[in-house]
Amino acid sequence: MAEVLLHVEHVSKSFPGVQALDAVSFELRRGEVHALVGENGAGKSTLMKILSGVYRPDGGRIVYKGREVRFQNARESAEAGIGIIYQELNLVPHLSVAQNIYLGREPRSLLGYIDDRKMNVDAARILRELNVDIDPAVRLNKLSISKQQMVEIAKALSKDSEVLIMDEPTSALTETEIDELFKVIHKLRSRGVGIIYISHRLDELKHIVDRITVFRDGRYISTSDYASIGMEEIINKMVGRKLENLFPERRNLPTERKLLEVRNIVHGTVLKGISFDLYEGEILGIAGLMGAGRSELARAVFGADPRDSGDIIREGRKLDIRSPSDAIRNGIAYLSENRKEEGLAVKMRLDQNVTMANLGEVSRRFGIISGARELEATRTYVEELDIRTPSLLQVINNLSGGNQQKVVIAKWLFRDSRILIFDEPTRGIDVGAKYAIYELIERLAREGVGVILISSELPEILGMTDRVLVLHEGSLTATLRTADTSQEEILNYAAGLGSLGAHGASAALAASASGAGAPGRNAAPGASAR
Amino acid sequence: MSNEITREPTIAAEAESKAESKAPAGFGRKKFALDRFVIFGAFVVLFILFSVVAKNFFTMRNVLTLALQTSTVTLMGIGVTFTIITGGIDLSIGSVIALTGTVAVIAANAGMPIWLSMVMGLVSGIVCGFLNGIMVTGLRIPPFIATLGMMMVARGFVLTITNAMSKPAPDAFGHLGNDTLFHLSSKFPGIGYPVFIMIAVAIVFGFFLRKTRIGRYTYAVGSNEEASRLSGIKVSRIKVIAYIISGFCAALAGIILASRMVTSQPNGGISYELNAIAASVIGGTSLMGGIGTVAGAVVGSFIIGVLGVGLTMSGASFFVQQIAIGLVVIGSVSIDQIRYKKK
Ligand SMILES: Nc1ncnc2c1ncn2[C@@H]1O[C@H](COP(=O)(O)OP(=O)(O)OP(=O)(O)O)[C@@H](O)[C@H]1O
Ligand SMILES: [Mg+2]
Repeated sequence: MAEVLLHVEHVSKSFPGVQALDAVSFELRRGEVHALVGENGAGKSTLMKILSGVYRPDGGRIVYKGREVRFQNARESAEAGIGIIYQELNLVPHLSVAQNIYLGREPRSLLGYIDDRKMNVDAARILRELNVDIDPAVRLNKLSISKQQMVEIAKALSKDSEVLIMDEPTSALTETEIDELFKVIHKLRSRGVGIIYISHRLDELKHIVDRITVFRDGRYISTSDYASIGMEEIINKMVGRKLENLFPERRNLPTERKLLEVRNIVHGTVLKGISFDLYEGEILGIAGLMGAGRSELARAVFGADPRDSGDIIREGRKLDIRSPSDAIRNGIAYLSENRKEEGLAVKMRLDQNVTMANLGEVSRRFGIISGARELEATRTYVEELDIRTPSLLQVINNLSGGNQQKVVIAKWLFRDSRILIFDEPTRGIDVGAKYAIYELIERLAREGVGVILISSELPEILGMTDRVLVLHEGSLTATLRTADTSQEEILNYAAGLGSLGAHGASAALAASASGAGAPGRNAAPGASAR
Repeated sequence: MSNEITREPTIAAEAESKAESKAPAGFGRKKFALDRFVIFGAFVVLFILFSVVAKNFFTMRNVLTLALQTSTVTLMGIGVTFTIITGGIDLSIGSVIALTGTVAVIAANAGMPIWLSMVMGLVSGIVCGFLNGIMVTGLRIPPFIATLGMMMVARGFVLTITNAMSKPAPDAFGHLGNDTLFHLSSKFPGIGYPVFIMIAVAIVFGFFLRKTRIGRYTYAVGSNEEASRLSGIKVSRIKVIAYIISGFCAALAGIILASRMVTSQPNGGISYELNAIAASVIGGTSLMGGIGTVAGAVVGSFIIGVLGVGLTMSGASFFVQQIAIGLVVIGSVSIDQIRYKKK
């Protein structure tokens, strides 16, 4: 058995009103990938921030390479060889990729100047190792979110750490990038690096993980060899109860009534004339690879981005949507995929965020806000979505990542819209809470709301929707009935290869090319209810 | 201060009693109360200090003068706080003071009724604020640059129309700035109208910022503009309103100043914007946007006011006062930072 690199012994940490960690233990060996899983707010990120010196524990010990350590700041832990990829991006938008990677440790020339050339060359080497096509000299904010995440990973790799912490590294990556990341993880492991891997995408663990530890409510539950434990058991340990199904049963059929008709939406080269209908009580999926224009389509309908042409018709009437507030007034809501950048005012409180899109509802005359009504509304959704928070007045920044995501959902549910567009609503959300969100979506549809569900997780599309639109490079390649389609068929259209019948052989190709189709990875643990 | 935002004590109390508290739900509130207490405490300490050091400091007469003198900075501080919360700044308010006061005096000298001339002054301030808002939103000019431009244009304009000369105003123009209510004796010379104006503005805008939708949106825009837009908030409108409020408050201050002097002051108000911004920052407003309160701006202004009057009465020179105010600005912000980091 490999030597133990890191030993966490009975570490506790509390924040005002929250016992984030309650005497937890954890062990990491050289050359192992050790998964850490648990519900939103279980304390995973908190422990990682303690290991990397961002927080100091209230009690307990951390033994690293046989010596007890107390890191005072992130620099000390980095110097000791502990690298971390944070859950939220921690990069400087206006610096170049290379400057970000070497921030604070820029290579110097003999005269003490920063050696930009060497920095770019070194950065390029690391990026090559990750097999991503990013120019080290380009400014960071020119990159997509997923590429930025790859830069964050490259930054951690550049430090030659002995312990590497990855806090939900894949939540914003494309399937191909995930494959590359896994290759790198394998390489690091064989070099003897110990890796702590945190993720809510439980199905991806089997490709890389050696051991798995479960936390629940800030407490340590168990550690097992990954090979000896089933997915069901892991989930049960995480949520503390048995989870029967992954998706709720659909209990209604869409009606014949069209809620929304979208005609010929064009936006530059991103959307090339897309039309579709949404029916009352329908859950309509939008599938496609990263860059297919799924979010862009939603944003165009919502008025968040300008569109060059195209009509949005509701109940026979052409809507004049030029801004989100126009869309909202017409009963359309959009939950964006990037919660921190587009969904939340993180310096503001929970209650203030929940009511942000519907303040009128909790206001009296003259636009005066009723604090009591605001709290009441907030409490309803905190309970309904099981948002873990010590108080309704908590500042958003202090909530765990997954709970922040739930606040975004709460904000739009409170708006009571007739048409709801969910863009990756379950990203970063734990299995139990995912089910709660699916149930909610199902209930909305039952109440006659038209739901559009954009998702990169095909099981989610297959498990939840009535019909699927498949996009490929800004064009609609297929509109499929979910009951009659399959993962392969969707992927085929997503890759722009046409129908299965015509290109039967290409299905496998598409699947392996995109990675998303590898049935193993995305297949849900346990059977779906449908 | 720090990352807590306006918190109505009554709301917090409600929350505490109603929220099924798995944990002490009111903790955040206590910390907040402490924050408030710190700046207010600093104010009280300063006050007591000067009462001991300077013999005549703590007399009714002096306290009233202090309130009167501080009213202009306070008004400006309240206004500029709105723009800072949206993530902007308003550097033009010093010039707006000169412009609005001068416009009012010119109007009064042209034979307009006094009240109407003062309304003219207010309107000119509102126009300046509106133009700032349009530059920031419509033309997307960074607030620092837009209002810096306005600072120069407004100053140049007022110097041009007056030839840089102060003109006396009709006597009746001086009532607003010099008359008092509750005049009892020479010991209690009464409370000046400007003090009442200041109190009214603080209450109205404090309520506005804390309790109304537009106030809430002001914070939201400063905290995350994109999220606000996607939530259906009309971001441009909110910003324009913030700059109009800033212009309006500066106009009030300008008219009060002109009235106190009973002359137009085309050269007045130079660098007052810096004092107002300092007051706002001392009161806990974050230049990053999203954080700040009217009450904080008021207390911040009074700290500057007490420092000024107190040091003068203790025999310190104007130069020493500058040093002291500078140190207070740096000190108050660093206390904030340290407290924020400790978490
Ligand atoms: N800075 C903070 N101030 C106050 N509370 C905090 C702070 N950071 C975390 N918490 C609280 O500590 C608990 C654990 O949070 P943590 O971020 O470790 O959860 P997590 O397991 O990483 O969850 P997720 O899967 O949602 O990312 C949560 O209840 C959270 O609200
Ligand atoms: Mg986390």
